[in-house]
Amino acid sequence: MSDFLAGALPPLPVAVPLAVAGVLLLCNRLLPGRVPDIVALLTALFAAAASALLLRQAAAGPVTYWFGGWSPQQGQVIGIAFVIGQAGALLALFTAGLTGLALLFSWGFFAEVGTQFHAMMLVFMAAMIGFILTHDVFNMFVWFEAMSVTAFALTAYALNESALEGALTFTVTNGIGSFLMLGGIGLLYAPAGALDFGALETFVRGAPESAVVAASFCMIAAALLIKGAMVPLHFWLGDAHAVAPSPLSVLFSGIMVPLGLFGLMRLVWTVFLPAPVVQHLVHGLLLSLGAVTAFLGGLAALEQRHIKRLLAFSTVSHMGVLLMALALMTPAGVAGFLAYLVGHGMVKSALFIIAGILLARLGSVDAIVLRGRGKDLWPVGLACGVGGLLLGGLPVGVMDKGAGLIDAAATAGGASWLAAPLVLGTGLTGAAVLRVTGRVFAGLGSRPGSEQEAPHENEQEPQNRPLWLMLSPALVLLGAALVWSDGVRAVARAGAHGFLATAGLDALPVPLSDPPHPLVPWLSLGLTLLIAAYDLWRDRLPGRLASGIDWLSAPLFGVVTRLHSGIIGDYVAWITAGLALFAAVLGLS
Amino acid sequence: MKALGDALPWAVTAWLFAVGMYGVVTSRHYVHLIGCMSVVQSSTYVLLLAAGFRWGAGAPIFYDHPPGTPSVDPVVQALVLTDIVVGAAVTALLLALALKLHRKRGTLDPDVLRPLRP
Repeated sequence: MSDFLAGALPPLPVAVPLAVAGVLLLCNRLLPGRVPDIVALLTALFAAAASALLLRQAAAGPVTYWFGGWSPQQGQVIGIAFVIGQAGALLALFTAGLTGLALLFSWGFFAEVGTQFHAMMLVFMAAMIGFILTHDVFNMFVWFEAMSVTAFALTAYALNESALEGALTFTVTNGIGSFLMLGGIGLLYAPAGALDFGALETFVRGAPESAVVAASFCMIAAALLIKGAMVPLHFWLGDAHAVAPSPLSVLFSGIMVPLGLFGLMRLVWTVFLPAPVVQHLVHGLLLSLGAVTAFLGGLAALEQRHIKRLLAFSTVSHMGVLLMALALMTPAGVAGFLAYLVGHGMVKSALFIIAGILLARLGSVDAIVLRGRGKDLWPVGLACGVGGLLLGGLPVGVMDKGAGLIDAAATAGGASWLAAPLVLGTGLTGAAVLRVTGRVFAGLGSRPGSEQEAPHENEQEPQNRPLWLMLSPALVLLGAALVWSDGVRAVARAGAHGFLATAGLDALPVPLSDPPHPLVPWLSLGLTLLIAAYDLWRDRLPGRLASGIDWLSAPLFGVVTRLHSGIIGDYVAWITAGLALFAAVLGLS
Repeated sequence: MKALGDALPWAVTAWLFAVGMYGVVTSRHYVHLIGCMSVVQSSTYVLLLAAGFRWGAGAPIFYDHPPGTPSVDPVVQALVLTDIVVGAAVTALLLALALKLHRKRGTLDPDVLRPLRP
């Protein structure tokens, strides 16, 4: 019996939420009061429990599940599989847990639309988990689409002008991404005649220099990097995260965007590894673009007054760090990627929950309008400060462990310069969050800098929830991010090992012995505190010094602000430019 | 002739993708822009069908042919069907958003509509 259960487990974290979502939609308006909230929460918990069981199963080696029993016949793949390693199961567990916390945070938030919101949240979660676990490129595309389309619709939930415009930008840019991905899959299928990762890898191994393989990789990678917010494909992110309902922004930044990069890492290691041109592209171009992303995202975050938009750009910066870890193309880099993904997801989700509390309690997320108005919400302020410090490189907790692993992997991989963008990105985003904390909760920073030119607007979210209910998910996340740091190292190592095993590379060792540079977190933290202190106490500085610094920094910030024009055509033009860059680098290599 | 026939679908794919992207970048009306998105998507249909095409093969229906008769690849046709369903969902969602936006703002010019602009 237990063998039967263990054998039937792999599809459950995806199939059960999908089925419950259908039932919830059927019962729309029939279920009384909080029943849909409870059902959705229990379903997320079920998915988390099933993923946890899978994590245990995967410790003995990747779990393979062929849908409908269509296992390969005479070496020929004829079905669709989930292949679940420890990394996949860990991320599935994280996705389900985060969705559960977001559902708790949104308790009663969406009461007026009945069960539709809950159904979409469950489909969103199921699609993300399917995307993580699948072992088939077309199946991956379908989950990618399912998570995109639910995300588009949920972004527009508020139906005010900004939400509609943000959702349109999101849909058009990510829609183009989907077409690119499908085109790439078609290009690869034409010569390979297969969609399964393993069968495709065999094909790539047989034709490593093929131009079709390179072109197909570029198109698929561009799609995943639009989702993963790499500069210059990231433009949709600020507009979409800022206008989406806060519980959704939590999931977007916490897991959806990083999943774009995880999908890319999975394809690079499981399918495209034998192609030298792909290795060259990832290790060269993507490493530099990751550094640019980390820096530009940090600058753009510091230049915002709308707190959710600020957090969105900080996500861009941290995606740059993740992309650098991916582009190292070493097993240690994979371990750093996994630890940093989880650590960043915890901290950033907690911060978005805090922004949601401000929207519900104070009716705004404009840091300048809210100056000093958060004093009564001091527990929230405390949590926000801790979140800012963790983001800014405080050397404790999961995120710091992740950054340390990435730094050590970079040094071992001969790219020790990578510490510079890491420190800059971390410092700028941490400072931006600390500035918000000081301004909103302590009333500091009476003289705003150039961030007052940034976009802002008045908005409000439902006030029907008690503060403790809204704050507790954030505290759980921050607590986990602070305390779990010893566990995460082992998990990242096991995860990386499992991840490589799903790619058929279980002989590769995952060395984690090189210590990270001890100065890096302190440099980040120092930069964070320095910038935050300058911004909060600039009114105490001699006028000439402040205006001198402004004069120096204004052109840099001006360029960043002008780039984010909000015009859809510009954003798509940047996507085209990114594709052209890929093509140019391919042509030169 | 056969070489031309082999190259033509790929050329059409590239052309549809390029004109569609050009339309999206330069569009001054959201409904037009959504139409251009459909053009970009059509390029993926052509690409997939071209990938599965075989010279001299029939449709993958074996009702009146013995199994084993040469046929074009049925997998890509299933993929195209999935693609069409996805495309319909996205287009419907985009049009619904555009309609709502037109009611609020009275315009659908992307240059006028910018999310979160002061």
